[in-house]
Amino acid sequence: MAKSIHRLSLVIAALQEVAPGVRAFTLTDPEDWPLPPFTAGAHIDLHLPSGRIRQFSLCNDPADGNRYVVTVQGEAHGRGGSLEMLALGPGTELLASLPRNTFPLAEDAGRHVMVAGGIGLTPFLSMIPVLERASADWHLHACARAAEAVPDGGRLVQVATERVTQHLSDSGSRLDLPALIAGLGPHDHLYVCGPERMIVQALEAGTGLGERLHVERFGTTVTGATAAYELELARSGQRIAVAAGQGMLDALRAAGVEVPSSCEGGVCLECKTRYLSGTPLHRDLLMSEIDRQSYVTPCVSGCSGGRLMLDL
Amino acid sequence: MKANTHIWTGVVEGLHLVPRSFLPMRTMDNLSFVKGQGIAGDRYSSGEGFYSDRPEEGRQVTLFEVETLEALWRDHGVRLMPEDHRRNITTRGVPLNHLVGRRFSVGDVVLEGTRLSTPCRHIEQITGKEIFTLLLNRSGLHARIIEPGEAFTGDPIRPV
Repeated sequence: MAKSIHRLSLVIAALQEVAPGVRAFTLTDPEDWPLPPFTAGAHIDLHLPSGRIRQFSLCNDPADGNRYVVTVQGEAHGRGGSLEMLALGPGTELLASLPRNTFPLAEDAGRHVMVAGGIGLTPFLSMIPVLERASADWHLHACARAAEAVPDGGRLVQVATERVTQHLSDSGSRLDLPALIAGLGPHDHLYVCGPERMIVQALEAGTGLGERLHVERFGTTVTGATAAYELELARSGQRIAVAAGQGMLDALRAAGVEVPSSCEGGVCLECKTRYLSGTPLHRDLLMSEIDRQSYVTPCVSGCSGGRLMLDL
Repeated sequence: MKANTHIWTGVVEGLHLVPRSFLPMRTMDNLSFVKGQGIAGDRYSSGEGFYSDRPEEGRQVTLFEVETLEALWRDHGVRLMPEDHRRNITTRGVPLNHLVGRRFSVGDVVLEGTRLSTPCRHIEQITGKEIFTLLLNRSGLHARIIEPGEAFTGDPIRPV
């Protein structure tokens, strides 16, 4: 379990039903202190009471200094995080990561074209006020089953409607994504957030866009290791999966293994841990080559193979 | 005779606190220094700091040179504000790296330098700026409280 001092402490200050089965949670500091800033498209990890850690896009204006808003849709066949979240009431305290952004707005776009599938609308809700303030050229395609199923669709009505197109499958108006991509200008950037089949379609049809195509998948938005690997703890026999995008120290902590750490930047060597087999990717700034043959710093380092055995 | 008594005089450029880890620091007109504890209302006096699970008597107060902020801008084009460095006191004209083991006054408060501060990666997470390496060897000073009291922005800082 993460310690509260190593995460943000948030409290559910308000709840709002924004579509059937979809709820917006306003999260604040328990004493309404300003929260760390975020940029449009960012997300946070929330630590749910069961121990699950789930990522949620922030969907309020980044200029809001004192709150994060996340919008959650219950997924009956999901991994359980959304239903657990929907069962939480006002006043519930939750630990959270700092905001991270793996889906930022491009600075040099001629036009920002956004495609949202269902609850995939959420990151775009934080982008719209930023784009409006910058007088940027943008258009949002919001895809959903029906108008009432567009999460927070009421808020969209308040923005310039000529910039928003709703594609409602119940009404037979599905978005033709390949045609949309074919019609993009040479400086337009495309952002897609939605179900996996929509992402795959965008990646297939948008290969020619290169850096101008931005996609956000649900639930896989952390940074860190490029490929997954496994930690084996020699003393306890415990095996811990380190997901692609996850740091070694985070994976250890998530598994309840406390490794002392301090700078978390590869300098103080407080987290220096002996390894017994496997090949670490050393990213510390200070350890000698001799030490690197026996020790690894989990705060910054990774693994170049499939498994690393630690003397823990 | 104290050899270093009148070598330098500095000033409190800014005073800052925050009640919990990660939150943005707030600049205050004055801070209250409590002996044996720290700064009233700050995360390290209430056990709510990022490193509070490793208590350290010498971390009651932290200080940072405004000259380092100016150097980050001058030499690296990095704009870091006094609230961003996450120490409690922003000083001007004070050679913090010389003050480990030395006592100095901040207004009516007397502090003793305990160790040099080291940068930590979570300042990059909080500020979103790549400053960890730039802050090596100039990340400020940890201190403990010898004489408690109030200190105000603009107060003189002197060796004692």
